[in-house]
Amino acid sequence: MGSPVFVGIQRILVAFDASPHAEHALDVALSMAGEMKAKLFVLAVIRPPEPAESAEFHAVLDDGRERYERIFVPLRERARQKEIELETDIILGHPAEQIIHKADTIQASLIVMGKRSHTILHRWMLGSNSERVLRYAHCPVMIVH
Amino acid sequence: MTNTWALCALWVGLALAAALLAIWFKISTALSEIVVGTVAQLAIIAFFAQGGLLGNTQWITFLAGTGAIVLTFLAGAELDPAIFKTKWREASIIGLAGFFGPFLGCTAIAHYVLHWAVMPSWLCGVALSTTSVAVVYAVMLELGFNVTEYGKAILAACFINDIGTVVALGLIFSPFTYKTLIFVVVSIVVFAVLPFLTQRFFKKYGGRVSEIETKYLLFILFAMGGLAIWAGSEAVLPAYMIGMVLAGTVGKDHSLIRRLRTLTFGLLTPFYFIRAGSFVSVPALLAAPVTLLVLFGAKSLTKAVAVYPAVRAHRYDGKAGAYYTLMMSTGLTFGTISALFGLNHQIITQAQYSYIVGTVIASAVIPTLIANSFFLPRHLLPHPVKNTKSEQEIQRQAAAEQA
Repeated sequence: MGSPVFVGIQRILVAFDASPHAEHALDVALSMAGEMKAKLFVLAVIRPPEPAESAEFHAVLDDGRERYERIFVPLRERARQKEIELETDIILGHPAEQIIHKADTIQASLIVMGKRSHTILHRWMLGSNSERVLRYAHCPVMIVH
Repeated sequence: MTNTWALCALWVGLALAAALLAIWFKISTALSEIVVGTVAQLAIIAFFAQGGLLGNTQWITFLAGTGAIVLTFLAGAELDPAIFKTKWREASIIGLAGFFGPFLGCTAIAHYVLHWAVMPSWLCGVALSTTSVAVVYAVMLELGFNVTEYGKAILAACFINDIGTVVALGLIFSPFTYKTLIFVVVSIVVFAVLPFLTQRFFKKYGGRVSEIETKYLLFILFAMGGLAIWAGSEAVLPAYMIGMVLAGTVGKDHSLIRRLRTLTFGLLTPFYFIRAGSFVSVPALLAAPVTLLVLFGAKSLTKAVAVYPAVRAHRYDGKAGAYYTLMMSTGLTFGTISALFGLNHQIITQAQYSYIVGTVIASAVIPTLIANSFFLPRHLLPHPVKNTKSEQEIQRQAAAEQA
């Protein structure tokens, strides 16, 4: 991939929610990181149920952490085989906020995320994550369909 | 409907539907179950049977009651005892302000504005005095404040606030007799020896297939609940306190907590929240929506008026706005437990129950909806430029430039 548009991409942030779209986005990002020798950051955001209730909230948190940790094990192996430097992180909060915050913190050159279709009600209540990230991110954003 | 299994299938089917709705809309299962309970009751009465969901059937009452007890215990067990050791003073002042403000304020407004009788007004005050510890904790984790001194103090204050609610519920409505005295003395002894006894017991007999830890905890919770009811109090009062005193032992055992959660969410709490929702009268809510608005306004206003000065008094200016606002959110568990207590003991009518539960839901949901719909994501707000000049110096300089 010798396109000049990709020159300077050193840190790729992948927003990962374990959906098929996110899996696809991760594959694309892994391929790009391998080609460009970029460092790959994979971020999983656990969204608490709203309004949060004590016992359920902690259950969601524990479950999310364990689930993503399990998924990240083979991912680390894939990255190691491709000699890609990989960093994973699991945090809690609003996905769009946390993705943008993470991109800002690590000074990401590119954000890669999957597209998820939401109902009008869902978008009104929670907002579309990809739309928010596209609107506010400081760096280019790639939405993988 | 006399067929127990058919009735059970109906309730578990509703619980399943509520869980699916919670997943699709990313809302809490508790909220979804309350709403499903209300809608199902309305639909069944309108189209099928006059008795509706038969929420007062004895076995449903038992499962729902057990759900409330175990849920309250789990809420208490999430306390971090280390926080109290360092922050008990600030936590007590802010927490008690967070409790007494809405407790007294909402009681007064229910009595003098809505003209409710004295006891229903007190119950309204208790139900609306709660704070959602989980909402506060979720935002703290999100912003990373859970590890700061400020965050710890606010979190501990939320627990103090809820202790106030549970104690008020357990003591205000029970006649003070020799039974109350026995209950208080036995409770103090049990709370004192339980951490030591539990640790020893689990060490010796725990980790077996027979789930001896779960049986032990249920035994303690039921026994103390039985004592509380005998004394004319409420079973959730000892459950919450037992959770808190065992937070350092049982609360740290993740495997046990997970098993208890499976029991709680899989079987018990759906019955509790669907039942709580089924008693909400939609016609009553539609008949006087202003009552709902008055109670919601009372809850928000009294919480803000009470908590803000307490937070300011401890010089927590920076993020104070965010957190005192968060403390206005009502916990669905304690809010509905208080309202159900009132309905079961005929302290409040079904219409008053409906207004209180409606307000509890509104004060849990509306802050979230507003935050998600109208505000920019917090991390994206421009960072203020650090200016070493004072406001007066800037104004003076601007005036000089204009001249």
